[in-house]
Amino acid sequence: MSQFLEVCSQLAGGFVTALLLFLLTLLFAIPLGLLVSFCTMSKFKPLSAVSKVIVWVLRGTPLMLQIFAIFYLPGILNLFVWPQMNTGWEWFDTTFTTRFIAALVAFSINYAAYFSEIFRGGIQSISKGQYEAGQVLGLTKKQIFFKIVLLQVVKRIIPPMSNEIITLIKDTALANTIAVYDLIYEAKEFMTTEGLIWPLFLAGAFYLIFVGLLTVIFNKIEKKLDYFKA
Amino acid sequence: MNILEVVDLRKKFGDNEVLKGINFSLKKGEVLAIIGSSGGGKTTLLRCLNFLERANSGSITVNGKTVYSATEGEKPVVSTEAQLSFGLVFQQFNLFPQYSVRDNLMLAPKLRAKAKKKETGVEPESIEEIQARADKLLATVGLTDKADSYPCQLSGGQQQRVAIARALMLSPDILCFDEPTSSLDPELTGEVLRVIRSLKDSERTMIIVTHEMEFAKHVADKIIFIADGVIEEAGTPDEVFGNPQSEKTKAFLRAGEE
Repeated sequence: MSQFLEVCSQLAGGFVTALLLFLLTLLFAIPLGLLVSFCTMSKFKPLSAVSKVIVWVLRGTPLMLQIFAIFYLPGILNLFVWPQMNTGWEWFDTTFTTRFIAALVAFSINYAAYFSEIFRGGIQSISKGQYEAGQVLGLTKKQIFFKIVLLQVVKRIIPPMSNEIITLIKDTALANTIAVYDLIYEAKEFMTTEGLIWPLFLAGAFYLIFVGLLTVIFNKIEKKLDYFKA
Repeated sequence: MNILEVVDLRKKFGDNEVLKGINFSLKKGEVLAIIGSSGGGKTTLLRCLNFLERANSGSITVNGKTVYSATEGEKPVVSTEAQLSFGLVFQQFNLFPQYSVRDNLMLAPKLRAKAKKKETGVEPESIEEIQARADKLLATVGLTDKADSYPCQLSGGQQQRVAIARALMLSPDILCFDEPTSSLDPELTGEVLRVIRSLKDSERTMIIVTHEMEFAKHVADKIIFIADGVIEEAGTPDEVFGNPQSEKTKAFLRAGEE
């Protein structure tokens, strides 16, 4: 029994790390994704071309590779490319905080790329008539977006967004590849040090319960926006 | 004095010249019906008047003030005042689905009052005053009991009446209709046409693009028949329907009777 409690408390610690990574990623990736979607839709061709290439690379390469790239690249550059500059960057073998930040940066830009495509689809699905109605009523472009279009977009993108967000909490497990002490990292510790398999399954239960909670929340939001058709 | 004067309005989409120099004027309280076959340019003309399209050249003058003037190759900026001298009712209603009927009416005036207050420091109209106006207009279009409903709960005819009230909230000098009954079931067109007729009785200046020939005949003071981007025929309903001069007009009216 005491062992079970010990595993639980270790895993809970890992879950808090995963949760923090999850929440902070959403905090950064959603506005960044919106920005990227605007760039992709921009009439200024070079801007839309560049952002399309960025989205292509971020969606086209493994997230794990991106985590490695963000974590190791500055260090590698420091060693081989600019050794004489002595930038003082010390990315290898550094504190938990820098590793966590590296993972956070990788998750944020990767998810921003996926979110941007969902946002673009949502924004472009709103009929031109809504913009035109706003214009003939004397509204500015900003007012049309925030007062008329945005909530309709939100309503439409909730199903694909809930998909992505549910994927995100499970993707946080990839952070353990650069030794961010998440749920899976903690569960693996029990396997390697004490030969216990079941903590891994318990870790799975943590994800499962959390995803259940997310599902309930998204259903609530969907219900809440049920009062209008868009 | 003319409330509206349109001089030599031209619009091209690529190489396709849709409006080839449109001239007409309108007096206060007059109702103009624009008729013609699809693709002739009548909707484009209405969209140019409402600045949803920018005419390539020509000028638009409202109440003696030129609100739009372009020569080939330039794109003039349209001020909010110019924009609001026209109101537009769409074929597809285009109500804002997430707002109640009353809030659909109040949204633009509220934002406008807020912007004015920021600009001048004086609030031109309180929320209560705006709401009172909204409720009065809803009564005019016969939808007082629907004030708290959402657009998805209304029939097409009711939605279009809300759209008319919403356009009237900003007191446009000229209210335009783009085929206001074309996406309605036949039994719902009557209620919308009745509202438009009642607006004529209250001296509202209106431009109506329509396929309802009978309605145009009875409500309009002036008829313009547009074909291939030019005004083929213009006059009173009696002149245009009773004694058309141009061959194209004759053919168009004949086709409608068959």
